[in-house]
Amino acid sequence: MTIRKFPLWSMLAVVLVVALVAGSGILRSAPPSAAQRAAAIESVVRCPSCEDLSVATSSAPTALTVRSTVRQLIAEGRTDQQVKDYLVARYGSSIVLEPPASGWSLLVWLLPLLGGLVATVAVATVLIRRRHAVDEEPAGADGTEPLDGVALEERRRFLRLSLADADAEYLAGDLSDKDYLALRHRDMLRLAALEARTPEVSGAAALRPARGVIVADQPVGGSGSTPFDRRSGATEDPAPADPTGGAVAPPPRRSHRSRRSRWYLGGAVAAFGAALVVGVSLFATNRLPGQTPTGSVSLSQDQQVAQSLAQAAVLENQGQAGQAAQLYQSVLDGHPDNEVALAQLGWLEYQTGRSGGRASLIGDARAKLNRAVRLDPGDFAARLYLGTVLWQRDGNAPAAVEQYGRFLADGPPTALVDQAAPLVRQAYQAAGEPVPPSVAAG
Amino acid sequence: MGPEGAGTARHTARWVGITVLVAAAGLVAVLATRPPAAVSEVQSPLVGKPAPPVAGTTVTGAPYALVPAPGRYTVVNFFASWCEPCRTEGPDLVRFQFEHQSAGDASMISVVFDDTVGAARAYQSQLGATWPTLADPAGRLALSFGVRAPPSTFVIAPDGRVVAYIVAPVSASDLDKIIADARSTNP
Repeated sequence: MTIRKFPLWSMLAVVLVVALVAGSGILRSAPPSAAQRAAAIESVVRCPSCEDLSVATSSAPTALTVRSTVRQLIAEGRTDQQVKDYLVARYGSSIVLEPPASGWSLLVWLLPLLGGLVATVAVATVLIRRRHAVDEEPAGADGTEPLDGVALEERRRFLRLSLADADAEYLAGDLSDKDYLALRHRDMLRLAALEARTPEVSGAAALRPARGVIVADQPVGGSGSTPFDRRSGATEDPAPADPTGGAVAPPPRRSHRSRRSRWYLGGAVAAFGAALVVGVSLFATNRLPGQTPTGSVSLSQDQQVAQSLAQAAVLENQGQAGQAAQLYQSVLDGHPDNEVALAQLGWLEYQTGRSGGRASLIGDARAKLNRAVRLDPGDFAARLYLGTVLWQRDGNAPAAVEQYGRFLADGPPTALVDQAAPLVRQAYQAAGEPVPPSVAAG
Repeated sequence: MGPEGAGTARHTARWVGITVLVAAAGLVAVLATRPPAAVSEVQSPLVGKPAPPVAGTTVTGAPYALVPAPGRYTVVNFFASWCEPCRTEGPDLVRFQFEHQSAGDASMISVVFDDTVGAARAYQSQLGATWPTLADPAGRLALSFGVRAPPSTFVIAPDGRVVAYIVAPVSASDLDKIIADARSTNP
C-alpha cells in the first residue's frame, strides 16, 4: 500500500469496520427474550454425553435435561454467565464449547492474536524494507562501491521498471503531476549517474529504451511511437528541464475523465459498502445473541420448535414420558400457544395424574387440552385426548361423544382410530348415539 | 546476498530452530505430565465440595433422601440396564454393600441414568441390589452430579463432601481403597 492510494484503502477500511460493528450486533438496543437467551446459551453448551455437539443440536436425554435446566435457571432470573457457571460447577469447564480464557486454555485465545500480530509486523517490515530499497540511493551510484556488469544491468533494469511504474500510475490517475515529475526526475538522475559511471560496461546499448519505458529523450506523450501517442490531450505544462538533457514532460491525460473515474470508483465502493452494512445489519437482526454470523448452522425458531416436537414424540414413543414432558414444556416456554405441545403435554399430564391419583395434575391437563382445542379446533389429537378425559375421568358420555365426533371428522390416521376405537365405541353406546362405522368393528 | 546477509540468515535460522525445539520440548513436557487415560478416577469440579442433595423417588415408588451419618461413607452409583460396563461392576457393588452393611461404615445408593424405571428395577432385582435405587426420570440428579455416561460413581464422605469420582467400572477393592485413603486424610 502506498500513501498515494490512502483514500481508497481508508474507504475500504471504514466499510469493513462499519460492517463488522453492525454484524457484531452490539448496536441492537432491544434486549433478547428469555427464549433467545436460552437458545444462545444452548448453542455454546456441549451435550454431556455426546462428542462435540451442542445441547441445541442434540436429542440425547442429557442434552434435553441441560436445555430444560438452562430455561429453568433463566426463568429464576440468573444471568447468562451464572447459567454457564452453574453447569461448569458440575461438569467442568469442558461443558462449554468455548474454551475458558484462563490457564492453559488462554493460549487458544492468545495464540491466534499473537500469530496475526507477528504476521502483520512481518508483512509491514518487508514492505518498509522494500520501500527503503526503492528510496535509498542505489548502491554504487555514488561511486563508493564498484559494480560489475551483471549488477549494473540489474540496477538499470530496476530503474527502468520504476519509471514505467510511475508512468502507469500517473496515467491511471494515482499520481499528481507534481509527484510524477518528482519521481521521474529522481529516477532519471539515478539512471544518468549510473550510465555516466560505467560507460565501458553498458555501452551505447545501455541507453536504449525498453519498449514502453520512458527515458529522458523520449517521454511519455512526446513525439515518437510510444503507446500513449493516441492520447490526444494537449500538454498542460511546459516540461521542466531535466539534468540529463531530456525534457521531462508528463504524459498528457484526460484529467477530467480521470477525476470522473475516481468519483465512479468511489461511488461504487460506497454503494457496495452501504449494501454490505445494510445486508449485515438485517442478517444480524435475525441472528440470536451469541450466534456467530458465519461458520455455524443455525435453525430458525420454527425449525427449532419442529425439531423439539419431533424429539419429544420419539421420546414419548420410547416410554420416556418425563423427558418428553420436559421437551414439550420447553416448547411452551417459548411458544405458549403451540397447540401441539399443549395437547401432547396435557395428555402426558393426564396419564401421569390418573396413574398416580393426582387430581391437580389432571386439572392442569384438562386446562391444556381445552386450550389446545380452542387454539386449533381442527386438531384431531387434542379432540381425542379431551374426549377421553371427559369419558374416562368424568363419565360425561355426551360431552365425550361431541369431542370424539370432531376427532373422527377431522380425518385422523387409521392406526389412531383403531387404537381409540374401544373407548369411542363405549362413549357412543353410553350416550345412546349410533356408533360411527369407522369404530364399529371389533 | 553478500556474506553479511548470509550470516544474518543463518542467525535467523538458528533462532527459529531453537524456538521450534523449545516449543516441542514444552509440548512433550505437558503431555508427559498429564495423567494417563487409563486412570478411572477423574477430576470433577465436585470433588472436595459438598455433594448435591441425593433425594427423589425410588424405582419402587418410595420417597428417599440421603441423610449424612457420622462415620458412614456413601457410594452413589449412576447406572443403566443397557450399560455393559455397569453389568461388569454390578456384582462388586453387591459385594461391597454386603461387606459394609453390618459394619455400617459405608452404604450404596444407585441412580437410574437414561433408562426406564421398569428395566432398571428388573436389572437391580436380578443383580440382588437391596439398596435404594432412585428413578431420576428427568435426569436432574445426573445433571446435579455432572454425570455424562454410566457407570459413574461418586464417594461421599460422612461430612457430605465428594471425595472421589470414578467413570469406569469400579470394584469393591477400589472403593475400599478410596475410602481408606479418605479416612487417612480426614480421620
